[in-house]
Amino acid sequence: MNSVNDRSRDIGPFVPGPDDDMLICRCEEITKGEIRKAVHDGMWTLTEIRRYLRTGMGLCQGQTCSRLVKGIVAKELGISPSELEPAASRVPMRPIEMEVFANEAPDEKEGE
Amino acid sequence: MKRYDLVIVGAGPSGLSAAIEAAKKGMKVVVFDENEKPGGQLFKQIHKFFGSKEHRAKIRGFVIGQQLLEEAGEAGVEVVLNATVIGLYQDKEVVVRKGDRVEHYKGNAVIIATGAAENMVTFPGWTLPGVIGAGAAQTMMNIHGVLPGKRVLMLGSGNVGLVVSFQLEQCGCEVAAIVDAAPRVGGYGVHAAKVARTGVPFYLSHTVVEAEGEDHVTGVTIAEIDSNFQFIPGTEKHFDVDTICVAVGLSPMSQLLKMAGCKMEDDPKRGGQVPICDPYGRTSLPGVFAAGDVAGIEEASSAMIEGRMAGIVAAEYLGYIDEEELKSELASLDEALNGLRQGMFAPQNRGKAIEKTEEGIDISESLLKNGYVADDEIEKYPGVTHKTGIHPVIECTQNIPCNPCQDACKKGCISIGSKITSLPIVVDDSECINCGMCVASCSGQAIFLVDESCQDGTATVTLPYEFLPLPEAGTKGKGLGRDGKVVCDAEVVSVKSMKAFDKTNLLTIRVPREYAMKARFFKVV
Repeated sequence: MNSVNDRSRDIGPFVPGPDDDMLICRCEEITKGEIRKAVHDGMWTLTEIRRYLRTGMGLCQGQTCSRLVKGIVAKELGISPSELEPAASRVPMRPIEMEVFANEAPDEKEGE
Repeated sequence: MKRYDLVIVGAGPSGLSAAIEAAKKGMKVVVFDENEKPGGQLFKQIHKFFGSKEHRAKIRGFVIGQQLLEEAGEAGVEVVLNATVIGLYQDKEVVVRKGDRVEHYKGNAVIIATGAAENMVTFPGWTLPGVIGAGAAQTMMNIHGVLPGKRVLMLGSGNVGLVVSFQLEQCGCEVAAIVDAAPRVGGYGVHAAKVARTGVPFYLSHTVVEAEGEDHVTGVTIAEIDSNFQFIPGTEKHFDVDTICVAVGLSPMSQLLKMAGCKMEDDPKRGGQVPICDPYGRTSLPGVFAAGDVAGIEEASSAMIEGRMAGIVAAEYLGYIDEEELKSELASLDEALNGLRQGMFAPQNRGKAIEKTEEGIDISESLLKNGYVADDEIEKYPGVTHKTGIHPVIECTQNIPCNPCQDACKKGCISIGSKITSLPIVVDDSECINCGMCVASCSGQAIFLVDESCQDGTATVTLPYEFLPLPEAGTKGKGLGRDGKVVCDAEVVSVKSMKAFDKTNLLTIRVPREYAMKARFFKVV
């Protein structure tokens, strides 16, 4: 078990910072303070942060903020950003309207 | 489901290069790109590229893009634009959004060449309109012909920051300063020098404190930082700017590879999340390859070679060529790529503070701190010599893989030798005929023709000039030093523009003799 997954580790209390109100995820309007608090709420992986706060789940799909979020979470946990597993990549890679996503082109003959 | 031998995602330098090689081997190739125009970032690159002739050196980036597209067309590559690949599955199924439909394709082999995305930094006010990425600035200027702003602060002194700063000036913006948190200029010294000599100040070990403005950027404050990246009180500097341009590195866009199940790793040296792959782009999934920035941030010239490698490896994977042919083709590409990965900016030297050139000469401290070589340092370099009559002065002071100047001089005045990173030297007893080809061929704009011995006590300096409007002969103005400060009066003697110069104009100015080795830019006052 590496230190990232060792949930019994004490990371200390949440200490408010002067830049906690700075927007990090612009698409979903999540601040640095919210991300730091989420870590203290027990969200220690980027996947958890994403589900908890919706960071990186807006229009740009984390293109701008995922690296920033990773840095903030790593710092709060006292580890290097490279120790954090990035969040899962899923289809669709780019934002897409549901009606388009559902509009599968009719298949030509199989095996063509 | 439509099936191709090879599906390539991304029509940038590496994707197109891969497509060309694969199609030449007889493969049926399709390239998808989400943009409305192909070429990736190439069509935004208006500067001349470095490298050797084989790497298309001294050709401007957008021209290389046109060449690649032509070659791809001739080779029978199908390039599909406005086609966003939204998914890649382990069995090489590629899901593509085209217009209002989603289509599925199957590639017997797949090459991911999706490139990279820009990094951002945060500071109070970073979400204000007017804070833009350097890539956005390039897109606005060079694709859409829109001015990004009137007065710009550039954050980042890597090659992107330096090149884009120069382009901003070319399109009429004023660059207020180039700022970098690092203590040394990150990009090529020659790129820094060509910006510095126009009068742009460099602030190293500085970063943005705050962007000001209510609903758009109206100013910015920067301050010096200590070695722990903490602001040093009292070092604040303010600039009235309407744009802050951010050029702080790139991250590979490797999500498709991760999604498909390729083994990934976090490698800060390669820019972030990258697939684990061999030198030819073979990932952990058979038949899935990665090429270009997505496999590790470098630059366009190496991306093109990596693309060709991936195309060839894919051809062998599907049996279009045998192992013998694979080996011989890769050997020559290995050599080419190795040639590009030399010198003080080579990937293996990233982050290292190199203090001496390969020749054993001290690297200019001033160049790394201020963006220009100081007057008392310049004479140390082998390209800077004195002679009676006109002669080239080559202010090339760092070992980078680039040698077009050597071939440019038909009289053999300039020599680099067999090692492409060596500093150019001026050959003894060679005869300069004032043709100017060396000045125009230097991608770093670091070559000048100097005549220190005009009869009337003056000197002439011929310099590369890529700004409009072009001054006319007889125009009086000021000579600027390497630091961009006015050093003397100057008068334009002649302006040469030839097809062979490829849009680099040669401006010859007359200055007092004592400024022959000091005046390096001309400004109409």
